[in-house]
Amino acid sequence: MNVIYLLIPLGLILLALSVWAFFWAVRSGQFDDLDSPGVQILLDDDRAPPPAAPGSRDA
Amino acid sequence: MDLAPSDRRCFHCGGPLPAAGRFTVQIDGSPRPVCCAGCEAAVKLILSQGLGRFYEFREPPSQVPAGGMRNWSAFDREAALRRYTHECGNGERELSLQIEGLHCAACAWLIESSLGREAGLRQIQVNASTARAELRFDPHATTLSRLLARIEALGFVPLPLSFVGDAAEGTAERRAALKRLGVAGLGMMQVTTFAVSLYAGLLQGIAPDLEQFLRFVSLLVATPVVLYAAQPFFVSAWRSLRARRPGMDVPVALSVGAAYLFSVYSTLRGRGAVYFDSVVMFTFFLLLGRYVEMSLRHRAGLKHDALSRLLPQSSLRLSGAQAERVTPDELRAGDRVRVLPGERVPADGRLNLGSTEVDESLLTGESAPQVRRPGHALTAGTLNLTGVIEMTVTHVGQDSTLAAVSRLLERARAVRPAVADLADRVAAWFVTGVLLLAAAVALYWLHTDATRAFATVLAVLVVTCPCALSLATPAALAAATTRLARAGVLVARGRVLEHLADADRILFDKTGTLTRGEPRLEGVVVLEPRLTAAECLAVAAALEEHSEHPLARAFAHLPAAAGVREVRSVAGRGIEGVIGETRYRIGRSEFVREGCGRTTTPGASDREHTSVVLGDGSGPLAEFHLADVLRADARETVRRLTALGLTPGIASGDRSGPVAAAARQLGHIAATANLTADDKLELVRSLRSAGHRVVMVGDGVNDAPVLAAADVSAAIASGTQLAQVSADLVLLGEGLAGLTCAVETSRRLMRIIRQNLIWAVLYNLTAVPLAASGLVEPWMAAIGMSASSLLVVLNAMRLLDRTAPRRVEPPARLTPAIPA
Repeated sequence: MNVIYLLIPLGLILLALSVWAFFWAVRSGQFDDLDSPGVQILLDDDRAPPPAAPGSRDA
Repeated sequence: MDLAPSDRRCFHCGGPLPAAGRFTVQIDGSPRPVCCAGCEAAVKLILSQGLGRFYEFREPPSQVPAGGMRNWSAFDREAALRRYTHECGNGERELSLQIEGLHCAACAWLIESSLGREAGLRQIQVNASTARAELRFDPHATTLSRLLARIEALGFVPLPLSFVGDAAEGTAERRAALKRLGVAGLGMMQVTTFAVSLYAGLLQGIAPDLEQFLRFVSLLVATPVVLYAAQPFFVSAWRSLRARRPGMDVPVALSVGAAYLFSVYSTLRGRGAVYFDSVVMFTFFLLLGRYVEMSLRHRAGLKHDALSRLLPQSSLRLSGAQAERVTPDELRAGDRVRVLPGERVPADGRLNLGSTEVDESLLTGESAPQVRRPGHALTAGTLNLTGVIEMTVTHVGQDSTLAAVSRLLERARAVRPAVADLADRVAAWFVTGVLLLAAAVALYWLHTDATRAFATVLAVLVVTCPCALSLATPAALAAATTRLARAGVLVARGRVLEHLADADRILFDKTGTLTRGEPRLEGVVVLEPRLTAAECLAVAAALEEHSEHPLARAFAHLPAAAGVREVRSVAGRGIEGVIGETRYRIGRSEFVREGCGRTTTPGASDREHTSVVLGDGSGPLAEFHLADVLRADARETVRRLTALGLTPGIASGDRSGPVAAAARQLGHIAATANLTADDKLELVRSLRSAGHRVVMVGDGVNDAPVLAAADVSAAIASGTQLAQVSADLVLLGEGLAGLTCAVETSRRLMRIIRQNLIWAVLYNLTAVPLAASGLVEPWMAAIGMSASSLLVVLNAMRLLDRTAPRRVEPPARLTPAIPA
């Protein structure tokens, strides 16, 4: 049973990591809009873009 | 119907088509009809950028581009830039926009992709669920007006949000709540695992050092949950105590705090029970309920002050011979302003020059346009329909009528909590009772057996902790709101469902609520025997094409006669033009009769229809009856609501004729016409003081105070955006059917809440005496509490059964607008 003294602290470290990751995700706005991204993967298609003026988009 | 609905409707906005194929666009090689030049331009712009896939993924329909493009140049002025944007270093500026007409992910993608190509735009992020966009642009490479015009060209209406306002507050609140929920959830998973081990150890034995270790680990995990995630409960409990009205949060805070402190004490001492699992679980479930409630509130857009949306984005201020575009908040009393047809009046004022008709329906409910001549007063937010006018501003900002309506709304809202807080007041008594009981138990045990005093008091507190009580309602509410959202009804305030369940009166506004808010041709009376109805209609349609009047829309789908010349529009009266050799007039009866030199006979206001007369030099030729048609599901909804025991009625600002006609079509329901906003408020108040529970269904600004004064208010989302803000329930889509579902759901909800409360009371009645007598160990109390909470939540989940109605597309959209 002694292994538990190692595993539980490991679990706690994982917990801390997940909390940190969750906070980061919330802060960076990943939970702000849960509807659009699912559809955007369908919309951003591979068809050649039209010969429109090239935009400067850093987003 | 011989054609698929999509071919009978505008490809872009889904609106009815004008006389055959005047505007078409090529989609994948095949022509598709669109209804107007605005839609045509929007489709062409979208296609030219290769973003045509928007049409495959959007949820139809898109917004009709508002007639004509606005002039956004006022936003390039330094003052406007300072107000609406915010310098973010290296010369770039940021701003937030509220985007009207943005309702699906495809719309968000369209705006992002289209604007992303604009030179000078550095970053754009569009959020479909809040209809907000965040932009960063370089003012040297592009102008703000250019970006705004581009969004408008796509068929949306951008509304710059002032940086002074709370553009980011909602987001911040939601993010903070989500973080708390996350911490509590992750903590709960861990602590529960440890707790299971500890309980198992209790039954079959556990090494003392291992038990102690598990307790310390639980303490470590539970600490952030209590100190960080449960913080809102402590803050709110403290606030309610200071206000001397202990709310539900007091025992919550007390139980969480006491159980945590006691567990810490036991852990440090190495003896006694720990309740970390109960503490964490309790916190998580409560936070979950509140989070769901909050996201629903935010979604209904309650925070945004939508009254200001009625003001134009810019207006032409005259100084000397010069005119410049300014934003509404730059206007001062005494300024002279020119208002073009199709623009909204920017401030209260007096008309100096020109005459026109204004649409005041948003403020007064009167559907017919009002004539305004020099000397007449103009109200901010009303729509100038026909003429170019100049006005002098008399009141701006807080002094304006619009602001007064807004204050009326605030006042009406302020009255409400008296009823809404009943539950809290009951809770306050309950809480006070529990605290007194705990104190009594403590006193008793201190005198008899001091060593057991703390454990017993804690058992009492935990056992009576209104878990079931305070969880019963939010869990059931969350389930009910989810069910309703599926049926297309958004619940903006959770409490309102309780009132809806025992409502016995339902009042409808007419225009835009029971009706679709657009006139339709109901009948033609030909007065001149040599003409046919079709000929008269063709002439009328040709003339009305040149009219901005709302009634003219009734003729928009008809084939029009060709070759109209010398068109002249007379504000408030009608329109005149020459076709072939004949000079025709169409409009009010007196206007047409003047054209042939006859005396006038004023029309009666109690007629069911609004009439438009067509005439030539010899006299009237035909009379057209126009009426605002009822929504397709209005009749059925009213019938079912009556079956549910609600007495329906109409309270309208419109004339008595159309109102009586609507009441008759709906099965002879009670109707009151010619009501001002104050009258309606009075009507609702008198019904309420007579002991009725009133549901008010409306859609306009004038309804807002009335909506707030009713026990329950509902608004149709396709109507004015503002009504959503003040309504408790928002019906999405074009129909009223959601109302029936809301009433049924609210009654089931109340049944379930009642069952939950009865359970909670029974549980407390059994458990409290046992706990007070010291027979219940705190750990047993915690298990009892958790089990009772679980039962309550599961009971609430019954609201989410599979038979929950899906949102049904209203049939109205599929039927042709004009009968063949």
